[in-house]
Amino acid sequence: MRQNWLEWLALVVSILAVVGVVGFLLVDGVRDEGRPPLPLVEVRVAEAYQTPHGWLVPSTVTNDGDSAAEALVLRATAEIGGEVEESELTVDFLPAGTEVDVTFGFSAEPDGEVSVQVIGFRLP
Amino acid sequence: MIIGVSASAESDVRQSAQDLLRAVGGGLLIGLPLLFTMEMWFHSFLLPSWKIVALFGVSFVVVIGYSAVSGFRRERTRTELLVDCVQTMGIAIVVSAVALLLLGRIGPDIGLRDAIGKIALEAIPVAFGVSLAGSQLASADDDDGEEQGMAGDGNAVGTLGRLVVAAGGALLLALNVAPTEEPVLLGVQAEWWLLALVVAASLAMTFAIVFYADFRGGKTLDRGEDPLDHPVSETVAAYAISLLVSLVLLWSFGRTDGVSASAIIGQVIMLGVLASFGAAAGRLLVGGGASSSRSEA
Repeated sequence: MRQNWLEWLALVVSILAVVGVVGFLLVDGVRDEGRPPLPLVEVRVAEAYQTPHGWLVPSTVTNDGDSAAEALVLRATAEIGGEVEESELTVDFLPAGTEVDVTFGFSAEPDGEVSVQVIGFRLP
Repeated sequence: MIIGVSASAESDVRQSAQDLLRAVGGGLLIGLPLLFTMEMWFHSFLLPSWKIVALFGVSFVVVIGYSAVSGFRRERTRTELLVDCVQTMGIAIVVSAVALLLLGRIGPDIGLRDAIGKIALEAIPVAFGVSLAGSQLASADDDDGEEQGMAGDGNAVGTLGRLVVAAGGALLLALNVAPTEEPVLLGVQAEWWLLALVVAASLAMTFAIVFYADFRGGKTLDRGEDPLDHPVSETVAAYAISLLVSLVLLWSFGRTDGVSASAIIGQVIMLGVLASFGAAAGRLLVGGGASSSRSEA
């Protein structure tokens, strides 16, 4: 029914593509336990840098849950010169298993650890 | 099969390359609007995996149905039909993946599950385009002696076939709007009398398009023997199918979750405007039915 190498190639690639995509989603669907979003924030203080408008701390948000979070609000708290300072930002969408890079801004270099609190999110 | 007997192997490959290119072109023609739709990207991670697989499966069935009704290789067996349809889905996946890569929607920094979900979702409209390219878009002299273009030989398509194609047309057009927010807004904000007017307008316009407006593939008002082969009953049946397609689409994109019945009805009727026009276009495309008379003109 396939007449030449090109048709065979198209058929083999097609079958691989279909089996790959459907198989992956099926396996993922079976593994999906319906866990709620689990946002994890890694604050990379070592990579912080100064700008004329403040001290910026790059961070990475991941979602270890099975479902996406929408409008995720994060609040970072740090101590700067003895005073507690907060920085807040919103992540539009945080899909399961995806990394989103964000940056917290402070007025100056934080003295010690930067702690992050999840203020809330919407379930899409 | 037929052409392979006399043609040399080289022109055979060229023919196959043409077929593939036409498939890719047709896929992009139908798929591009949704490749550029933000909601489609988001639904890759908003929808659970099983739902994406289910939608992919439903579209596979639609492709099979469409191929069976209008396929360009009439003489193929059921197994061949099935294999051809798997290939349609496969080509669609490859086209969708390459397009999403070029648009920067998938890449190394996107989660694998997210990327695969996007590819599978976008492959659905692309697959319809690939399927269309296999039948409607082939040039007339493509396979010598074989009749191409459904409008010419539409009499082979029965009433049921026309309704299958109507569902395909409804899906094709409504799919472009279903993922967006607009049907929700339109449906929720419309008063009942407005919805009633929209229903009446949809029915009247699709009736007129198929039976009065003298499009190529349009029909006269003569009734056939089949009870569904009557202008009014066919219009109503096609509209009912369109509403069903709208409902399935809205459910697919999570627009019916936790929504009141009246809001769902509103959305279905509003999306049904597009679906019913798509259904009318689909019926024009295949022509046919016992009362077909203009397709040869």
